[in-house]
Amino acid sequence: MVGDAAALASRVMGKGSGASIRGQLLTRIDPDAFAELVKGRRIVAVSGTNGKTTSTHFVAAALRQALGRDAARLVHNADGANLHYGIASALAKARKADLAVLETDERVVADLLEHGRPEVLVLLNFSRDQLDRNHEIKFLGRDWRNALERAGASGPVVIANADDPLVTWAAEKARKVIWVDTATTWNADAAMCPACGAMLTRAGASGAWDCPDCDLTRHPADYAVEGAAIRLPDGRLVEPRLNVPGSFNVANAAMALAATAELGVDADTALIGFRTVKAPAGRFSIGTFGDTRARLILSKNPAGWAESLPLLATDPCVLMIDSVAADGKDVSWLWDVEFEQLRGKHVVASGPRAYDLAVRLTYAEVEHEVIVDLDAALKSVAGKADPVDVIATYTPFQKLLKTAGLR
Amino acid sequence: MTDSTVKIVVVYQSLLGIYGDQGNAKVLHKRLAWRGIDSEVAFVEPGEALPADGAVYLLGGGEDNAQTTAVRELKKDGSLFTALDAGAVLFAVCAGYQICGHTFTIGENDEVREGLGLLDVTTRRGTRRAVGEILTRWTKPDGTTSLITGFENHGGFTTLGPDAAPLAQVEVGVGNADDGTEGAVQGRVIGTYPHGPVLARNPELADHVLSLALGRDLEPLPGPQAEHDGLRAERIAFVRR
Repeated sequence: MVGDAAALASRVMGKGSGASIRGQLLTRIDPDAFAELVKGRRIVAVSGTNGKTTSTHFVAAALRQALGRDAARLVHNADGANLHYGIASALAKARKADLAVLETDERVVADLLEHGRPEVLVLLNFSRDQLDRNHEIKFLGRDWRNALERAGASGPVVIANADDPLVTWAAEKARKVIWVDTATTWNADAAMCPACGAMLTRAGASGAWDCPDCDLTRHPADYAVEGAAIRLPDGRLVEPRLNVPGSFNVANAAMALAATAELGVDADTALIGFRTVKAPAGRFSIGTFGDTRARLILSKNPAGWAESLPLLATDPCVLMIDSVAADGKDVSWLWDVEFEQLRGKHVVASGPRAYDLAVRLTYAEVEHEVIVDLDAALKSVAGKADPVDVIATYTPFQKLLKTAGLR
Repeated sequence: MTDSTVKIVVVYQSLLGIYGDQGNAKVLHKRLAWRGIDSEVAFVEPGEALPADGAVYLLGGGEDNAQTTAVRELKKDGSLFTALDAGAVLFAVCAGYQICGHTFTIGENDEVREGLGLLDVTTRRGTRRAVGEILTRWTKPDGTTSLITGFENHGGFTTLGPDAAPLAQVEVGVGNADDGTEGAVQGRVIGTYPHGPVLARNPELADHVLSLALGRDLEPLPGPQAEHDGLRAERIAFVRR
């Protein structure tokens, strides 16, 4: 374990600095650029359905903290552009950065493993998301599993969420796995064993799961979320005291701690870095819209909404739903989220699918009004809370960031 | 709960519930409550005994392997068949609709699986996956018609036999895929492809299911109608443009 910044810098310097990643400057990203640009760098990759952006920001912040004045050696696709093009684009702008922290879409993991040979791969979770495009999440898990098997002894150390059966099944093919007990509560998308199809058994709220018909089972954890704290492998309990809200972000921090430890960053240094993360890619940022200030929360799928609804602290609050490709075209998931918990608040339903939300809120007996236009919805709550809490799906969230000049 | 409490049974939500179809139970439950009729929603998972005294049983959408497991567990349990013999209503969506038929196929190799045999339909893998908004025209028991709006997402094409009647005719979308029909009705078993969930987007269909289960007509619900009208107008305009 290497603790201080200078030591990490020298260790990291050992391979892949400059020469191997130098290449002709690209004026545009061609299809082979991804494979070329990921070569020769030391890579920490982060994937999973929810928490990618924030976890990646944690990892990058911890490494910057450890690198100190050498922080320019690090490249990070901080804007959340996590497909081939987004990754290549970020890397093309930092050709001399030998250390890359890459948020990686679930569908890009296999290609990154093949071409980039990441040292550390963080696998956060799998839940249903955009089912109009990814019909069965198991296919993605199988993709990861096969890619890790092909990578074999030159594959990454995987930081895996032990609470997630599909992540577990995929990670078992890795040469080395660090297991993290994330105290996950959403298991609605993990009823069946990904290996054999049997119904998984679960021991109450502890997160412990097991397949009664095959060998797949929950692994003992190296790191564990315990309330607002994280138990380290040496038994020490640390308080992350993050500047982003939500128990799910404590889980993300635990995953990031395990990842940065693999690169030789001690937990205390990493946590100092984590605390500098306040609005990763605009999440939880406060924007100004005329006379309304709003705290902007992004949620993209039922697991994400289940996590973010309890964060709504204001009355009124604004919920914005869209259903273009980036949001998922099917909003049926609204009915798998417990909007009933908002009873007693006034909810402004906004966005192109505000009417779907309004019907859902009617059946949840939550008092609400429909204002489809985003700006008008924000205007309607001026002076009623400061800042007013807003949860939005991907497309309206990006529009709000742009309107507020936050991106 | 009294003897007259209407029992709504959500069958195997963890297997057949990945498209919000449990919303159908929420809709049925509230539409009864708003009329002063007591009801309870029971969520029953595989391995648990299915109640035989339900008034409405609901099946939703899910993945291939989940279908096979659901059929096996429902046959082993047996109570769904008992309840249907006693006059219960089964409302099945998407993968749940497919398993009500004689056979369906799973996987890329089209392995044929036995269904529950409750609908005279068979399902095989289609030439393309049907994903998107669907609009159909449903002929109600009184002979008038009403539009059904929803979102379909299925790889299976379904063929009806002589004992099953289509639920609706497709205006936009795929549905059963062969002949412009959507869904199937046979006795008190209704199968349909759209999610949405479908009963949230189509309150008349919800009330039809409840009328079947209660054996009587229900008075209209003006309260939530405005919200439904807004949603339906928006979705119908979207799919037709």
